[in-house]
Amino acid sequence: MRLGGKEKRAALNLWDIGFGAALFFFALWALFFWFPADIPTGFFFINSIGREEPGDAFFPIILASLLAGLSAIQIVLSWRNRRSDAEADETGGITLANLKFLALFLAVVGTGLGLMYWLGPLTVAALNAVGFLEGTYRNFSDTVPYKYLGYVTGGSVMTLTLIIWAEGRVRPVAVTTVAAVLFVAILLFDVALRNVLLPPNADF
Amino acid sequence: MEIVFEYILRGVMEVFFTAEGAFDWLPIAMVFGGLMTGIAIGATPGLNGPFAMALSLPILIWIFGVNDEALLPILGFLIGIMKGATVGGAVPAILFNTPGTPDAYLTTLDGHPMTKKGQGPKALKVAHFSSVCGDTVSDIVLFVAAPVLAVLIESILDLPEKGALIILSLSFMAAVAGSSPMKGFIVGVLGMLLALVGSTLSGNGPRMTFGIVELGNGLPLTAAILGVLIIGEVFIGLEEEVRKRARNVRAAVDTALGDNRFAWSERRKLLPRIGVSALIGTAIGALPGIGTTLAATLGYDVARRFSKTPEKFGTGLPEGVAATEAANSAVSGANLIPVMSLGIPGNFAAVFIILAVESVGEFTLGPHVFRFTEIKVIEDYGTIINNDLVIAFAMFTLMMLANIMNWTVGGAFLRSLGILVKVPKSIMLPVVLLITLTAVYAQDGGFIGVWVLLIFGLIGYALKRLDISILPFVIGFLLSPRLEEYIRGGYSASGGDGLFLLKSPLAMAFIAAAILILVLANRKRKVPDEV
Repeated sequence: MRLGGKEKRAALNLWDIGFGAALFFFALWALFFWFPADIPTGFFFINSIGREEPGDAFFPIILASLLAGLSAIQIVLSWRNRRSDAEADETGGITLANLKFLALFLAVVGTGLGLMYWLGPLTVAALNAVGFLEGTYRNFSDTVPYKYLGYVTGGSVMTLTLIIWAEGRVRPVAVTTVAAVLFVAILLFDVALRNVLLPPNADF
Repeated sequence: MEIVFEYILRGVMEVFFTAEGAFDWLPIAMVFGGLMTGIAIGATPGLNGPFAMALSLPILIWIFGVNDEALLPILGFLIGIMKGATVGGAVPAILFNTPGTPDAYLTTLDGHPMTKKGQGPKALKVAHFSSVCGDTVSDIVLFVAAPVLAVLIESILDLPEKGALIILSLSFMAAVAGSSPMKGFIVGVLGMLLALVGSTLSGNGPRMTFGIVELGNGLPLTAAILGVLIIGEVFIGLEEEVRKRARNVRAAVDTALGDNRFAWSERRKLLPRIGVSALIGTAIGALPGIGTTLAATLGYDVARRFSKTPEKFGTGLPEGVAATEAANSAVSGANLIPVMSLGIPGNFAAVFIILAVESVGEFTLGPHVFRFTEIKVIEDYGTIINNDLVIAFAMFTLMMLANIMNWTVGGAFLRSLGILVKVPKSIMLPVVLLITLTAVYAQDGGFIGVWVLLIFGLIGYALKRLDISILPFVIGFLLSPRLEEYIRGGYSASGGDGLFLLKSPLAMAFIAAAILILVLANRKRKVPDEV
């Protein structure tokens, strides 16, 4: 349904109000729940010579209070703009289509990262089970092909799926580009730079 | 005056010679490598200078380490990228009518019609000549203005004033960088709050970590900034590619080539136009957060208004290309004025210069850099000298070196890069995602960096979709630790006075100006657009 000017502005401004409200409640949650539970020293603390000093909660509390105040002003301003047609701003928004895209996108990335993390260790575990290898993934995280298995498979699946999704077809140029990028990344991050590790080898 | 020349000379020597007095080719090679990389990156749709700087920084740190000697080669490469990418952006705009950045849109107006007339190579020559002219003018202004401003600021400002100045800068950036100043300022404060996760000044253990041990040292800085800047863009770009999957429009370029000579007489004729645009770009660049788009728009508009043949603009006029390119390139050097004199970044490229400086060696940016301490050699002790000032002049030398290389070989390299424009975004963006994930994982030594990257990518996506500028968020995130230091220090120094910020007239003036800017900017935005 196509919205008329007045309705369109009112609807669009709801994003401004929602933005303000989300950050307002985030700031209140931070002030009353997050900071008390997660900052060891308070607003002030007494230092070793008995003098009162600003504690580690000092600046976060100032910022969160400022955030709450500004968000409240934002809600009021958005409400006023909504009431006045002439003063209404056009703003962006997040649609259901955007959320659907994000969900699919994150599913692809999550699958790729999952393969990156688990494929090497699971392969080693499976080969252990059939008696082909002996030891955990940690023992093989610097051994070819195990150390590249997760990165190459997960990276290929993630990148190629996204390319195919965007182009709607499989092209040889996409496959060769991804293969070349993975090859160069391995050369750079694993062969040339000996003090860094490719995913997931730093986690094992 | 003698002491100024002494420091300048030492800065130049720092670039070209090692501590032992041998000629040092490394910084020169790094500037060259960075410049060529930057031109190629700028010429590739979907990529930009800050992206290349972000990915290069961790790799450079692995190669060179984090000691003092590593700083100049690393800065040389980053400065090269910054300058090269500014020039390279003209290639897709002129040859294929596909502006990679908003400011490059103005270049397409006359640049692409020139290509259609068979003058594509000439348009690239005009763009390169104007861009390098604008950049050089801007750098010269930087070299003069940054020390003067820094000396002035250092003599006037104490902790409360410096804290208030950061708040004023954030307010200014929020006012000019996005469609909604209030929302921009709010996300700036949010960025500041998130930057406090992990680290504490008191040393009493980590804070705000939800018990996640890996966050004890704070959120990984590069992962967070790459997430919001690069991954957010990848999300948006891929979504658009998916939507326009079927229509892959590309401008025809099979035009017969005409006369593409760009004679010195033509260059001389363009110089006044380039000069005006360079000054416009420099003035705009000196103000944090405004960016290249306004500079390019104003440069083009002024050139058209003062032209004897304004009706010919948009039909393939070299003056149009020159006015735009000189203006947007002049922004990059001047953007370093607030960085060098205040330690406050004004754009994304400056963010990565600051990140490099903070990660490598003991040099820090800010007004203290430009203290012209008398150089004294004391027997059995060493030399008393402000090493930060020497490094600052070495940085200026690197910038001039990049300009000289750009003048001499940059143009030829630029004209050979048309092929890069054919790399489709649908392949480029997933590859960018993979490279960024890999680089962040390798730098942070685990998946924690990857999670932070993706979460901040989502924040970047949401901000973009809600039409809120990302710049205040990034600047707030980056400057928060320093602001905390100033606020806590100022509070303690005042003897626990809760109103210490308002006791200093200058700090109060800065805070008042910050509020006034936000109020005025919000009112201005309420006026409906005429177009």
